[in-house]
Amino acid sequence: MRTTALTPLLLLALLAGCRDGRMASAVERDSTTLRQREATLASRLGDAPPDSTTPIARWVLPPGLSEISGLALTKDMRLLAHNDEAAVIYEIDYRRGTVVKQFMLGDTPIRDDFEAIAVAGERLFMTTSKGRVFEFREGPDGAQVPFTVHDSGLAKECEFEGLAFDSTDNALLLACKRILTKGLKDFVILYKWSLAGGLKTPPEEIRIPVADVIQGTRFKRITPSDITVDPHTGHYLILASQERSLLTVGKDGSVIGLRSLPPGHPMAEGIAATPDGLLIVSDEATKTPATITLYRVR
Amino acid sequence: MLFKKLIDVLTLGSEHPVKRLIAYYTVLVAVMVLLATFFPTVDRLLGGQGPSGQVMAGELLTDGLAGAAPPAAEIASKRIELAITTVAMLLGALLLMLPVTWVYMSTKASNQGHNQQVAQTLIFLPIVVAGIVMVVQNSLALAFSLAGVVAAVRFRTTLRDSRDVVYVFLSIAVGFAAGIHNLIVAAIVSAVFNFVLIMTWRYDFGRNVLQPTAAGHWGEPLKELAATAGDSSVPDRDLMMSLDQKQAATLAERFERVQSLLGPRGKKPRYNGILSVSTEQLTEAQAIIEGVLEKMTRRWKLDEVDTNEGKPSGLYYLVRVRKDTVPDEIITEIRAQGGDRVINAELEIAPENKVKKNDKFSQPQPA
Repeated sequence: MRTTALTPLLLLALLAGCRDGRMASAVERDSTTLRQREATLASRLGDAPPDSTTPIARWVLPPGLSEISGLALTKDMRLLAHNDEAAVIYEIDYRRGTVVKQFMLGDTPIRDDFEAIAVAGERLFMTTSKGRVFEFREGPDGAQVPFTVHDSGLAKECEFEGLAFDSTDNALLLACKRILTKGLKDFVILYKWSLAGGLKTPPEEIRIPVADVIQGTRFKRITPSDITVDPHTGHYLILASQERSLLTVGKDGSVIGLRSLPPGHPMAEGIAATPDGLLIVSDEATKTPATITLYRVR
Repeated sequence: MLFKKLIDVLTLGSEHPVKRLIAYYTVLVAVMVLLATFFPTVDRLLGGQGPSGQVMAGELLTDGLAGAAPPAAEIASKRIELAITTVAMLLGALLLMLPVTWVYMSTKASNQGHNQQVAQTLIFLPIVVAGIVMVVQNSLALAFSLAGVVAAVRFRTTLRDSRDVVYVFLSIAVGFAAGIHNLIVAAIVSAVFNFVLIMTWRYDFGRNVLQPTAAGHWGEPLKELAATAGDSSVPDRDLMMSLDQKQAATLAERFERVQSLLGPRGKKPRYNGILSVSTEQLTEAQAIIEGVLEKMTRRWKLDEVDTNEGKPSGLYYLVRVRKDTVPDEIITEIRAQGGDRVINAELEIAPENKVKKNDKFSQPQPA
């Protein structure tokens, strides 16, 4: 009977031993793929002219990231992304097309309508559509990190969709997708919320006249879906999902330019720009799977 | 058979239901741990992380510029994973519902018996539900499908015992949990449900504490009966102990009725036998039987008529057989006169010495 009872334990030990071997071969296979991808991207970067409208990489995201919403880059150029329903943050290696890690806010992921993410040094922020900004720190893979919530108090003024960090002003930028205040319907509204004040002071409003933006186009309005700061010029890059356009404005809200996104962006929800001249756009899944697409703009 | 032997080893051959349940779940958990250790996919399924529901660190993204369609090997790999996942989920649901069906069949009262259809439904239902949920995989749709499944199962199933509904709901719960790749929840629900159910059955939970149990009511009289008879045990004592209050009351009423017919203790009883007849033509059979009894017994009395629909009715007579009459002659006569109208007839005569003591008396079978 003792032998019979020991048999499952022996089997378990045997399988546990085999497992390491199997995992090792999977890692080896993946690392080969990653090396190939890195080489391919370097080759495409070398060939691509600056300001190209041809993507140099497009990664198809798994169904778990089908509702990808915001993008943000850390100081050391790692890309963070999140879904819009739960506070789970993913790090994506955009050069090699792999998910590096994930961590979540709270013991179980907080569920809300998360719209965008921004990185300010070591501090990370995510905003909901009602202007509640969650502040937290980056965690290791699988971590459940603590957070604090700052309320902008602007839920009645607008529905937020974009968030970015302007390092020169040490402030968060919130982009308004739908304006709820009657008198402001003719503007694209941004809010600048100073971190110096500990997010206690009221956000400062930046008005961009819609007429200035849409002149010479067929658009009637502009509906921002994300915002980022161009690391070279300091201009604000505003992604407009419905219009499939990219609006560039100065810090004071002056319109610098509006250009169409290249084809292949059915629902662009997130944008990030790297100092080495890459523009990264994320698209939610529609009839096609969610993607992140890289362009060389410099 | 190997599984049964393994459980026998773990329980040291015990037939105790709780020990066997614990052994079953232990083996199941061990197998799951083994599979989760060896196959990461199974590990994800146990924790509610479906293969397509959660993004894992280290996951390679598909290159959207490499070609319109992913490589054939990748497609095949994903399909195999989906197939393994589906089989694992369905098997998991099945393995978790098996002990539930055993508990269901074991804990039903012996006189009611379990409903075989319900037992089989408990096996089939979670498999189907898991399949539905795996196909739906969306919270809003889950809510609708849950409502649909519950409505369909509940209102198209006639259940004798309202508690049977709970088994069906459990079956749905296990199916749903398996369908959304959360076998751990399914396992815990299944295990806790079974143990709670066995405990409530073992301790007769929910009985009216102000009323004595059948065992309490009849235990001592039965012991006394056994002791007076000089035997070491009463044959059906265990069966008597398992009666509920309603059954015990019915039996008590019958005992009292028979006792009143037998007459006071110490005197010669008025009747010494019970005639049981099964018939589908009650009126005609009754007339024939009573004619025979009038002719061949010293006295007789109709004790009970058990009328049934769809199956033979029963007639029970208390009789005092004449000394010069052989009991088999009465049966022969009843069969001869009754013909097809009498399906079965039995005459049980109490031994004279025991009848005199009023200790034992052959009882008519309970209806």
